[in-house]
Amino acid sequence: MEVLGAVTMVPARASGDPVGGAPFTGLRIVELGGAVASAAATKRFSDLGAEVVKVEPPGGAPLRRLRPFPGDRPGPDVGAFHVALDTGKRSLLLDLGTPSGREVLGRLAAGADLLVSDLPAGQARTLRARLAEGESGPSTVWITPHGLEGPFAGRRENDASLFAWSTRAFNQRLPRAPDRGPLRYAPFLAEVQVGATAAAVGAAVVWARSRDGVRRVVDLSAVEALAGNVDSAFFLHAMTGTSDTYPRPSDLGARTYACRDGHVLMLQVDREPARSRVRELLGAAGSGAEGERPVEDSLRSWLTARTKQDAFESLQRAGVIAAPILDASELLSDPQAAARGSYVRMRHPSLGETTIAGPPFRVASGAGGSWEARPAPAPGADTAAILSELGYAPEEQIALARAGVAP
Amino acid sequence: MSSAALSGVRVIELAEVWAGPMGCTLLADLGADVVKLETFPRSSMTRPVVEDARVGAGTGPPYERVNVHHHANRNKRNIAVDVRAGAGAEVLRRLIAGADLVVESFSAGTLERLGFGWESVHAIQPRASLISLAAWGQDGPYRGYRMFGSGLDAMVGHHLVRGHPGAPLEETAPAVHSDAAVPLTVVLAAVTALALRDRSGEGSWIDLAQVEDLAWQLPAILGEWTASGRSPPRVANGDRDLVPHDYYRAAGGEWICVAAEDDSQWAGLAEAMGRPELAQEPHPWASVAGRLRARVDVDAAVGAFVAQLPPEEAAERIQRHGAVAAPVLGPAGPLQSPQLRARGWLRSTSHPHLGRREVGGFLWQMEPDAPAWERSAALVGEHNAEVLSELGYSAAEIARLEASGVIGDRYGAPER
Repeated sequence: MEVLGAVTMVPARASGDPVGGAPFTGLRIVELGGAVASAAATKRFSDLGAEVVKVEPPGGAPLRRLRPFPGDRPGPDVGAFHVALDTGKRSLLLDLGTPSGREVLGRLAAGADLLVSDLPAGQARTLRARLAEGESGPSTVWITPHGLEGPFAGRRENDASLFAWSTRAFNQRLPRAPDRGPLRYAPFLAEVQVGATAAAVGAAVVWARSRDGVRRVVDLSAVEALAGNVDSAFFLHAMTGTSDTYPRPSDLGARTYACRDGHVLMLQVDREPARSRVRELLGAAGSGAEGERPVEDSLRSWLTARTKQDAFESLQRAGVIAAPILDASELLSDPQAAARGSYVRMRHPSLGETTIAGPPFRVASGAGGSWEARPAPAPGADTAAILSELGYAPEEQIALARAGVAP
Repeated sequence: MSSAALSGVRVIELAEVWAGPMGCTLLADLGADVVKLETFPRSSMTRPVVEDARVGAGTGPPYERVNVHHHANRNKRNIAVDVRAGAGAEVLRRLIAGADLVVESFSAGTLERLGFGWESVHAIQPRASLISLAAWGQDGPYRGYRMFGSGLDAMVGHHLVRGHPGAPLEETAPAVHSDAAVPLTVVLAAVTALALRDRSGEGSWIDLAQVEDLAWQLPAILGEWTASGRSPPRVANGDRDLVPHDYYRAAGGEWICVAAEDDSQWAGLAEAMGRPELAQEPHPWASVAGRLRARVDVDAAVGAFVAQLPPEEAAERIQRHGAVAAPVLGPAGPLQSPQLRARGWLRSTSHPHLGRREVGGFLWQMEPDAPAWERSAALVGEHNAEVLSELGYSAAEIARLEASGVIGDRYGAPER
């Protein structure tokens, strides 16, 4: 039986109950802010079984407003970022700008293991101070552009400006087109990386607390998370004084070649052993050309006679590092993705059946564990249920709705 | 005091280049005891035995001074062992016997051929988990194919959407995003394995296909196809829904990022530009739709303003008025950031061959136990004796392993 959106990472054991289920079953996570970073962070928990409550402002989380939308018609429940990154979460609409909203948050947080926020620094500092009262309450990860304190703490940034601060935009400028200036990644990829950083440290502090009881507060500056990671020009400069970008295509031996139906990217093609292997492959394919230039010419004509998929597989089988350059329409039919189930189908209440990326890793063997992407919630889908669980009586819920706190 | 979140967790690193080593560095930043098992006698890709552009000035052999190696290897101990030799394999066997996590980045099947596939690891230490980072995972038709992180963007549609509209594809250079993203997932996978072990008592084999860890990060690429049957266009540094939103040339040829995400930010930006009327009704640019229709002209006006100022000054002025602006920092830029300095992010470290350096700090700050820079990248085999004696080897046995070339602390001259 096919389970939509689910990847059972290990088959149930032959004997007895699979010690599995999802790895984070029982964990309770609160998401505040609802931009790309916090949503990406908490998705990593919800897909692995944690209960994630997405606390959204009454107008809905900013993530819901990001394109693409089906048929280019925007809607709070159908944007691709929301559909893919809010999987399996519960939605609570709450105005945190009011004492009543903060009271609800206080009760919610008291029962949580982890709170992940990408609210602006000013708001985050206020909430941090409130939540710090007492011994209980969740560990927290506060994602902000520049950190909670310091001269730039109040600045507004976005995906492109964070990338600029992190030295990445400079590092990605195109060596073959220097006048075009800096270049960023696909929109919001930098923010997703910041969210993945929050998930990494968040998972660690939650697990640590189960052993040592220590409640940790993480102050995660997006600039630091990006500039401190490996794809940064800064560390290289700091160690050796170089002002080069790295890696340049020449460092990687990277070249893009045209095929019959698109392009392949090849790496280390300018060095051994790739050069000899290419020469052998071309020899086998009917070319006896010798020397660098003729080999390059033969390679080009060999490639243009083939599809990128054929070229890729032939090159890899010959030990040459290559990849076909795929567009969106080709992702799902990639033979490897199809064989592994790299993308999963999910039945979404508003969209019907749709397809999103599958698990970032699988538990191939051993202690079990499963990953499941369940549909993303409509705004406020769980407000009533969550308020009831937190002890708000029906009359109180009506009053909170009337006041616009939890509509 | 260093971070104790993962204290007592013992990690064996069998990984080269960036993704695996950086993942293990992050585990070390969280307090894990990481032993990097350095390739030997062959040196790894980030340890060139001759000087090249990545090697900094200093003393000692070039492979100890490589910036791309230092980047991803702080806070570890280092042993250099030839695991293809029988006596070296025994060292690895003993390491695994005492390990909680083994992180490896070989092509699928290679570790098994070395005698340390999952079945072996599990037999040696049932509580140990194995995290495998092969680019395309452990099964499927591409099993055993080789790739670096810089090629995987091609497989998830990212390569095709980066770059400038209308420019030839050959112009787009590979990105190394997965080398930065996979380390974060290594930490998540490690905690997943530890959490599962808390329940079951057993370790897990985690198949982390780097290409799959990229796919979930790009919902708009697949989403554009599933929602509307087309591929997203290249937008370079722009945003299809926001004007202005770009990197512009500031004074002196430097670059600055400027964006206004709504009418109120646009009003702030217009004020900063000294042209408040651009955001006042009935000026057509006062509205979102008006700015979208006039993208080229709005960009020109913003460009003309920032061209007069150095990027830091322009950014400061625009930020004061509530819009988004940031200098595009070059490699040395963070050294000048008052914010990074005020937060103590910049760290002074010392290394026996590179001397004292001011380097970038951690990906997060944490209370009460902040990460600490306790060790710069260790030298090749620096901890051979220390680690092997913990594994029960006597001094005489260690000397014999060294004499027979199974362990070592230096690489020879390049082979001709």
